[in-house]
This record gives sequence, structure tokens and C-alpha cells, in this order.
Amino acid sequence: MAGRENRKEEFSEAKDIVNQLAVIIRTSAIHDTGNVAITTAIGKFTAIINPLILAEKEILLELGGEFFFFNETRIRYPLEYLTSFDFLAREFKKRGLGSIVFRATLKSEDVQGFLRAFIASASSLEPFEALAEAIADIGSLGIGRLRKIRDEEKTEGTSDVRKMVKKSYFNAVSYTRGVISKIKSGEKVNIKKAKRVVESMVDMILEEEQLLLGMTAIKDYDEYTYHHSVNVSILSVALAQRLGMSKRSLTELGLVALFHDIGKIEIPSEVLNKPTSFTDDEWRMVQKHPFWGVRAILKMRGIDATAARAAIVAFEHHMYHDLSGYPKTRESYELDFFSKIISLADQYDGMTSARVYSRIPMPPDRALSIMMERSGTQLDPILFKFFINMIGVFPVGTLVMLDTKEMGLVYQSDSAFLDRPKVMVIINGKGERVDKYIVDLTEKKSDGKFLRTIVKTMDPNKYRISPAEYLL
Amino acid sequence: MELLDDIKAAKEVVQSLLKAKKTFRMYPDTNPMYAKTIEDTNAKFRNFFDYRDELTFKIKQNELFCDSEQIYHNPQKEDNIALFFFKDGLREITFKKGFSVKELEDFLKILTVDYDREVLDDDVVTLLWERDFQNIKYVVDEAFLTEDEDYENEAVREVKDKASEGDELAKAYEDSFNEESVKDAVIVPLTDKDLHTIVKEIEKDAQDKTSKLITIIFEMLYQAENKSEYEDVVHFLNSIIEFSITHGDLETALHILRKTKEVFGVSSVADEAKKNLNMVFSFLGFDATIKLLGELLDSGIEINEKMWDEYVSFFDKNAIQPFITILGELKSIPARKNVISALIALGKKDIQSLAKGLQDSRWYVVRNIIYILGKIGDKAAVDYLLKTVNHSDMRVRKEGIKALGELGAPSVFPVLRECFNDPDVQIRTAALRALGNIHSTTAKSIILKRMTDAVFAKTEFSEKKEFYEVLSKWKDDDVVDFLVKTFKKKAFFKRAANDENRACAAYGLGLIGNKDALPLLHKAKDSKSKLLREQVYSAIKRIEYGR
Ligand SMILES: [Fe+2]
Ligand SMILES: [Fe+2]
Repeated sequence: MAGRENRKEEFSEAKDIVNQLAVIIRTSAIHDTGNVAITTAIGKFTAIINPLILAEKEILLELGGEFFFFNETRIRYPLEYLTSFDFLAREFKKRGLGSIVFRATLKSEDVQGFLRAFIASASSLEPFEALAEAIADIGSLGIGRLRKIRDEEKTEGTSDVRKMVKKSYFNAVSYTRGVISKIKSGEKVNIKKAKRVVESMVDMILEEEQLLLGMTAIKDYDEYTYHHSVNVSILSVALAQRLGMSKRSLTELGLVALFHDIGKIEIPSEVLNKPTSFTDDEWRMVQKHPFWGVRAILKMRGIDATAARAAIVAFEHHMYHDLSGYPKTRESYELDFFSKIISLADQYDGMTSARVYSRIPMPPDRALSIMMERSGTQLDPILFKFFINMIGVFPVGTLVMLDTKEMGLVYQSDSAFLDRPKVMVIINGKGERVDKYIVDLTEKKSDGKFLRTIVKTMDPNKYRISPAEYLL
Repeated sequence: MELLDDIKAAKEVVQSLLKAKKTFRMYPDTNPMYAKTIEDTNAKFRNFFDYRDELTFKIKQNELFCDSEQIYHNPQKEDNIALFFFKDGLREITFKKGFSVKELEDFLKILTVDYDREVLDDDVVTLLWERDFQNIKYVVDEAFLTEDEDYENEAVREVKDKASEGDELAKAYEDSFNEESVKDAVIVPLTDKDLHTIVKEIEKDAQDKTSKLITIIFEMLYQAENKSEYEDVVHFLNSIIEFSITHGDLETALHILRKTKEVFGVSSVADEAKKNLNMVFSFLGFDATIKLLGELLDSGIEINEKMWDEYVSFFDKNAIQPFITILGELKSIPARKNVISALIALGKKDIQSLAKGLQDSRWYVVRNIIYILGKIGDKAAVDYLLKTVNHSDMRVRKEGIKALGELGAPSVFPVLRECFNDPDVQIRTAALRALGNIHSTTAKSIILKRMTDAVFAKTEFSEKKEFYEVLSKWKDDDVVDFLVKTFKKKAFFKRAANDENRACAAYGLGLIGNKDALPLLHKAKDSKSKLLREQVYSAIKRIEYGR
């Protein structure tokens, strides 16, 4: 009885099932299904899954967005399983496969049959149909189609989910604005409340990561400082979430990220918002904001674990992976893990917005390619890989031309196919401005070729195109 | 109207939670009551789940509802479980049938956290959220988190206004045909080695961050430019020291102190910086800091001697007074020992400050200070100690006399001599021992003078014996002659008193171990005085067998 309850609570085997499924698929791409390496792996797979099938009567393994769900519970997994999960998601998507249902305990032959059909379907023009037909005889399992684009997303996205995400985003911004003004006037800040705000943001990121990342793509708010803080927080948490960090750590990271630039409250806004470049003196002042950040945080909070963390990040966020940034230190130095994550997020959001680093905002894809050059020097190369996986090669807000001569803005990235995001088309193939519609670049034609591919990217700022108009 | 069975069961769950909230506070998890509480509460949940698969409480400020039935009501603020949930925004909580014993235990722990403690930044919702229960779902009203209802609308309007100023979409479309095509992006995939590296980093990241923060604050010191920046740095270092002491972490405080001292030796660090850093050492000796340190010492945390000595070495003499203050307040003996050893080390730098402690109203503090002054052994303390001989408390006087004996400056002799006239035997004996401790010719002659005084004859045997014992520390001819003379002395009157003196002399000769005295002693072996016989017997034994 107790064992059953525990299983229900954790579904801890779910992640092993996905991992093992990835293993057998990978192995059977190399070996024949009768091979001993495969039969052993299959044996292991059935040994994990069969007791669960018995207990649950039916198991639905489903791919929803970027995540796998096990009877509707999202499967969490340790970082070691990441490549398996990514691999399986990719293989599912390639075939338009959305789910596998296990109805009865599996025999080794069932799995072998499924694997043969699965491998063969890859080269079919209609892989899902081919797979469905080939496994029709296997009674113990069945498959379901991948839901391409949620209906509510097809047009501009006025869905409830989007509304909620928007609300959560703006709430975080206005909260941050309130907190920063409190700090400026020397008032006490209620950290319990700050935590709750960040927690609700973390929840949004766990459930609707791409939608929230989309919110960070809009850069032309008047009070960008506060949006910057929130964006850096969102980008950092989203990245860290992929590293399998605990909810507690995610909150701490998100909270600390909100305050990374708190030292800037000491810089006069005339300087910060100057339309021209900084003078040497002004630049020296700006370079002091890490110190001032430490000071502001420690004065506000006194000393404790969270304050220490926030102060460390405030101090280190411009130092860079290779310590080539500022401030320079007298003693040898090693960057904190949080600082590495936050400085990536900070650089990206800073470069793509108008007021944080340079006077001219950079289109997201261009910022990303500069960051790619800096990977390994200024930026931590491994974390940068995760970052690209998260925002894609063409991040949200990139203005793109497709091979269909349609033009649009990148709307959502796809971590299985980094260069095939969802795009919101605003000009159709004939060059006419149209009611925006969303297309998924992973979609294929009946000949197996992709329906649409990005061929060019443009700078939306140059043409005064505001992503806000389309993405909000 | 009769309640339905399932509602009754829900009511019982609430009652069991209330009970558990109390017992969990009282018993540690090793106590059988703790396990029993979980068991009982679980039984109530199981009972409910026999009727239904989900138990939902709707939460109002002072009430809980199950369906539309009120199952809990409490208008009081105290022990109000509805209010407890309500105040953090919880409006509904649901337990699913799969709710496991482990989940129940964790849930009960969350119920019993002391949320009023200032250091805790979590509320109930945060803890529920972090624990991420598979079988507890809840609804939260987050309205109170919203700072500004209108911000969303304003910001969106403003940003859209800007956007509608007219873009050049058509031009962008046209231009795009002349743009360069995108190159295939080279994306290096994540490898297992990458993942491994990150896992390692995350593990490492769990370490305490205080030492990193200290490094940063020192960097701030190196780059500080004006008075207020220096002061901030010092303030932060002090705060970390305070924080560490409060958390029983002397090692971190030591880390700061070592580093601070190190910086003094670095020539490239500005003098201004060094000057300010002195404040860190002063801070250690502030009343409040020492008070915290006292709490740490009294908490029973094991502090090794080396660490303590090092810590003490960083104190300024300003710490003396606060240490004296807490000396009288500490409860544990090891704590007091540590403070005494600190004062011995510190007092050397400033005897005068330490001596002020002699005026403390608490006799035991004064006694400790005397002890410390004695241990320091600085003759400068004598003048202060002389006064303690007249203290109103006997225990202090004794300790004062003892300390004078340890210091042994010429000025102590008149006072010790005077003590022989004290009506209290304890004082006389203490003075005697002090003189014995000084062990100088002057000391000897004072003792001898006393022993030959007429008053001495009236002294009790035990005190007399003590005098002979102390005297025998001088194993010189004077003393031997005196003892032999006393031993040989015959008396026709007051014979018993004379035998007492002879017994004492025998005792003294034995202690000296003088073999020449043996024939003399042997002669008295058969004395009629039992006392004398006994003393002679043991003196012979002592001399002959070296025992
Ligand atoms: Fe910054
Ligand atoms: Fe920043």
C-alpha cells in the first residue's frame, strides 16, 4: 500500500522510462532488433514500465510543447537525462508523433515490433501514418498525433493562457518598480512578498516558458530598467530550469537576478538615459554600479544567505567568464554559478534593448551571433549552449523572411529544431500586409521537405517595426 | 440536521490537523508522540478517502468549508488554522487520495514552522510551493502581490502608441530581397561531458557563500575612494562578524580577522584603508559584540583552544570591560574559562582596565579578576590587589591574599603579616600559604616570627601543623635548627601543649627529609603522647623510605 502511494507521489520511474525508451530507440538505429544489446535494453525497459502499467491500468506518455508528460504529470528529470529527453522529443516531432499509450503489459516482441516500425517510419513521407499502420497489430500499445499549434495560438494569441502570462509578467515589472523605489527611499523591503512574486513567475516559466520568453522580446518600454530586471530574471530562471535546478534555487536565482543592477539607482537618470555615448567620467561612474549594488543590497538587507547571493551577483555580473570585464579584482577570482547564468541573460537582454549597454538596440539574432563569438571567452561556453537551446538560433522578435517570401516575426522557439521556430507572418508571399497568422517551421510537405524555412533576417529597428505591436 | 458521514470525516481531519500542529511543536521527530501524531492524522485522512477521492477545504478568514458545510470556525486570532492559511493568500487546499505518509509528515512540518522568526523569509505558500506536493493542490489569491493594477494597461498602451507611429514594413520587405541569406548556424550540441560539468558546478554551488562575500568586500576596500566608502566596508565586515558569531561560526569571523591583519602588511594598500580597518578590531570588543560572543560561548558549541586563542589575539583592550561584564553573566563553566583565558591575554595589555573589575559588585567576578591578575603575574597589579584583602567577602579576601603570594612584591609583606592577626583562621592560613609561595627570606622570617610569638602557643593544632608544613618548604639550616630545637624542648608544665609542638616539628622534619634527624626521632618513638608517636612514626617512614 505504502509503496503504491509513494510511486503515485513521485512517478520517479517515469523519467527512467523515457530515458530507457530513448536508449532502445537509439540502439535499434544501429543494431538489428534481434541483437543482444537491444534485447537486454528492451528487457530493462519492460522491467521498469510493466509494473506501472499494471498499477495505473493505462499509461499515456505524451509530448506537450517541450516536455514529456506521464499520465498528465509533467516529468521532471535530472540533467544527466537531458540528451535522452531532447533526443526523444526530436524523434517524436520528426514523425509528428505526440503520444504513446500503453494499455497492457508489454512483451518483448511488442517492443521489438514497435521499434522496427518506429525506425522504418523515419524515412516515410508520412511517418505518423506509416507508424500507426505498422503497429496496428500490437494490442498493448497505440499512438497519438502531435498537436501542431494550439488553436488559440493560431491567430494573435488572445487566449486566456496568454493573458495570464502577460498579467504575471507585468505584475512582476510593476512589483519590481515598487521595490526599487522603496529601496531608493530607504524603506524596508518585504522579502516574503518578493519571493511570492518570483515564485509565480517561476511557475509561469515552468508551464509556459516560451510565452514568457516572448514577453521579454519587447524592449521599447519607457521604464525599461524595470523590464530589464524582470527579463534578466525570466531568462535566467528559464535557463536554470533546463539545468534541473530545484524550485527553491530557481526562486533564489530569480530574486537575485531582479536586483543585479540595483547599483544603478545611484547613477543619475540623466546619465543613464542619455541619448548619446557616455563621457569617460560617466563611463567610470557606470562601471561602479557593481560596487554600489553590493552596498545597496547589504544596507537594505543586512547580512544573510540571500543578501550574500544577491551582493555577489551584483558585483560579478559584468566580470565575464574570462574576467576581462569589470570590476577588476586584486585577488584571484572565480565567478559564482548564479553570476554566470545571470550575466548571459543580462548581456542578451542588454544588447537587444536600447538603453542598457549601447545606444542602439541590436536585433536578437545579431546579438546572439555576437554572443556566440564570445562563448568561451566572455561567456561560459556550456551555459551558452543551453541558452541557445532555449531561445533558438532565431530568438523571439527576430524579423525573418521565409523561402515562401512570407515575412514575419519569430514567435516561439523550438528546442528540438533550433532554426525552426514558430513565426508570426505579417506579410504574405505576395508582399501584402495581412492579418497575422502563425506558422510552425517544423511542418513538412507531403514530399517530406519542410514547408517553410528562414532565409533572411532583418533589423526590425531599422524599419521602426515594433515587436510589441505583434507580440503583445 | 445530521451531517453527512463524509463531512464528519472532513471535520475530523481538521481536528487532527489542529492537534498535530500542537504536538509537532512539542516533540522532536525521535519522540514516539511524533510518529503517533502522523499515524493518527493519516488515519483520519484515510477515513475520509473511504468516502471520496479528494478532500477540499475552502478557506475563509475564520472558517473552513467542505462543500458548503462549515467544518471549522474560530473567531480568535490565536491558534486559528483558517487564518493561518488565509493570511498568506491561500483560498483553497485539496488533498488527493494518493496523499502519502511522507507527504503528510512534510505538510505537518510546514504547519508548525515558526513563521514569526525574523530570519525566515518564507510564508506558508512558499513552503508548499517549494515542496511541490504531488497530492496537494491549492488555490492562492495573489491580488495582494499586485503593486499597481494599471501598470499593464499603461505600459502596453504607451508601447503600442509608439509602434503605431508608422513602420516601414513595406520597405523592409523590399529591402530583404537584397539582404544576404542566412548561413547555416553551427551549433555545437551539448555533450555528456558538458552535462557532467554542470552537475558538478551545481553541486559545488551549494557551498556557503559568506567567504565569497568577504572576498568581495575586501575588493571594495581596495578600490574605495572616500571616507563613506571606507566606512561602508568596515560596517559590512562588522556585520558579517556579527552574523557569524550569531550563527556560532567563529571560523568565518576569524577568516575576516586574519584577512584584515594580512592587509596591514600589504604596502600597496592605502593607509586610509588600514586606518579604517582598525575599526574592525575595535568592533570585536564592543559591548554588544561581546554579548553575542557570550551567547555563543554559553550555547555549548565546542570551541577548540587554539582557535579561541587566535580569536582573542585580535581583540583590542577595549574588550576588557565588556568581557568583565559577561564574566558574571555566563552560565557554563567552559564559557567562563574561555573568558578568563581571554582576560589573562588581554589584561597584560592594560592592567589598569582589568583592575577596574575589582570594583565589580559581584563577589565572584572580583574573585575571578583577582585570579586573572595573579595569573598575569605583573607586579603592577599589587597595589590594586592589596585593597582586596579588606574586601567584605571572605572568598574574595582569600583569593586576594593568594594572588599577593603569587606576585610577591615587597609591599605585600606588611599586609600579609597583618593578616596573621585576623580573627579568621582561613585568612591567617591563606596569608601563610601566600608567604610560603613567595618563598623568600623575608617571608620566612615573618613566618618564624609568628611561630615564636606568644599568641602562637594558643593556636589550634591543625593551624599550627599548617605553619610547620609551610615552614618546612625552606629546607635550610635556620629552619632545621628551629625544628630540632622545638622537638627537643622539654616541658614540665603544659606538657600536652609541648607535645603538640614537638609533633608538629617532627612532621616538619619528616617533610624536609633530613636523615640527620633520624636518631632524634627514634628516641621519641615510645613517647606517651599518642599524637607525638604518630607524627614521629610517619616522619621516620617518610625519611627512611622517601615517602
Ligand atoms: Fe549591470
Ligand atoms: Fe543589467
